[in-house]
Amino acid sequence: MSLLSVSGITKSFGGVTANKGISIEVGEGELVGIIGPNGAGKSTLFECISGFYTPDAGEVKLDGKRITGLAPDVVCRAGIARTFQKLRPFQGMTVLENVMVGALTRTKDVKHAREVAREWLSRVGLDEKVDTFARTLSTGQRKRLELARALATEPRVLLLDEVTGGVDQRTIPGLVQLVRDLHGRGVTLLVIEHNMRVITAVAQRIVALYLGEVIADGAPQEVARDRRVVEAYLGQAYVQ
Amino acid sequence: MKRYLPAIAYFVVAGLAPLVVKDAFFLDALVLILIWGAAAAAWNIAGGYAGQVSLGHSAFFGLGAYAAALAVTRWGLSPWTGILIGAGIAAFTGMVIGFLSNRLKGPYFVIATIALSQVLLIAASRLKGLTSGSEGIPVPFRPGFWTLGIADKSVWVWIVLVLAILVYLVQVYLERSRRGFQLAAVREDEDAARSLGVPALHLKVAAIAVSAAFTAVCGALWAQYIGFVDPAYVFSVDISIKFALASMIGGVGTALGPFLGAALVTTLETTLRAQFGGVGAQFIGTYLILYGIALIVIVRYAPRGLVGWIGERWGRREAKPA
Repeated sequence: MSLLSVSGITKSFGGVTANKGISIEVGEGELVGIIGPNGAGKSTLFECISGFYTPDAGEVKLDGKRITGLAPDVVCRAGIARTFQKLRPFQGMTVLENVMVGALTRTKDVKHAREVAREWLSRVGLDEKVDTFARTLSTGQRKRLELARALATEPRVLLLDEVTGGVDQRTIPGLVQLVRDLHGRGVTLLVIEHNMRVITAVAQRIVALYLGEVIADGAPQEVARDRRVVEAYLGQAYVQ
Repeated sequence: MKRYLPAIAYFVVAGLAPLVVKDAFFLDALVLILIWGAAAAAWNIAGGYAGQVSLGHSAFFGLGAYAAALAVTRWGLSPWTGILIGAGIAAFTGMVIGFLSNRLKGPYFVIATIALSQVLLIAASRLKGLTSGSEGIPVPFRPGFWTLGIADKSVWVWIVLVLAILVYLVQVYLERSRRGFQLAAVREDEDAARSLGVPALHLKVAAIAVSAAFTAVCGALWAQYIGFVDPAYVFSVDISIKFALASMIGGVGTALGPFLGAALVTTLETTLRAQFGGVGAQFIGTYLILYGIALIVIVRYAPRGLVGWIGERWGRREAKPA
């Protein structure tokens, strides 16, 4: 049985239907990529899963339990953590305190949360930044901070929105390696990614969205060659 | 421990002062400094730590003042019972306002709080049967601790000092505890906090309710100390601004800041009243101009308040905004 099961999610904003009956299954320990051009409905889907939007139809199940329509904090405590495409560190708090907020969802003990936060920060390679304010971090470091913060909530499924978006080329390999490590550790991941090279390299399976619908779901190489996917990304002219 | 030394010094000096100084004018100022300090600190729980800026906290102050006054004059209860009733009503009202904060953000929340205090002002002025309207209620002086009929101002200093320390400790709790960290996260970015499992709405509602309850206790003790309650003062925007201003001058989101700010603001006001009382009564209002100037200077030169400013001078890390 899949750990995260999304079925028939539909979400409209006025006349625009951002998600039309999207269904995705993610198994325990799987790393599934979500691709699609701008406006395909990737982020809307994440908002629906994480509880920030309530879908008009369809349901989200975590380990068989329905979590559709629950508030974001309840969804997180149920075991789904997320990062934001537009990074949102707690600017006025230190890097350590940022991650402690995540850890405090699972422990009541501030001291223990501090230790847990330190551990996660060293895993994502931010040991030296522990006591600096989050606002002083570079974009790449902020991505790492968001990861650590989300991981500290001990999610069963982690939703990553654009791991490599907005960071410079040299920073990408490190972040990709980090995602690989997490996967290696058994974390179940659902990853939105624009960079095709990155996502085909790390994902076990890729789901392609276009105009709110799933147009392909399969092994990375298959999906990358799929006629409809190429068409959606590059236009009809490139389809052989 | 070291970071709490300034606060310990502040409260110890306040507590010992009545043993050394017997001057009634000074003791009166000290009682007011501590009451306004506690009220500013109570405001800081919502406005500073939870980031829910209110300019209507006089609503809670007034509810406390009236609850205590009515308990004594109409219902024949001990003022202490009145204080508890006031705190309970204020906490409930704070919860309602707290739930509104989910929909009303920033300036809209501020306006809602002002509206609340003004609605109560009108209600207290019109419900003549209960509150005697704008004539106000004189609180009778019945000697004794349980009736709060205390002539010795030193005792008043100690009573309000206990309250001040209590509110201070609540703030320290908010700087060190799990709930405090979570609340700080909500203040920084509510959605991000919620995505990390923080029950943002509950925390905000709780913070505003606690803030309201302590503000009501301040109002109740103030009413018993002054011996008179009238709607135009206890529900005024003036004192709402005073709470916020004292916090901002001292340092929003710092535990000691509101007490320092209140000391400054109250001293200023008391001095002006003493200077211009009688002959130059029309100049008493100058304190409003000075409030304005003080606020401009603070925002321009010490945006993190006195605590932040002093911290920077001494190069200490604890001066960071909590």
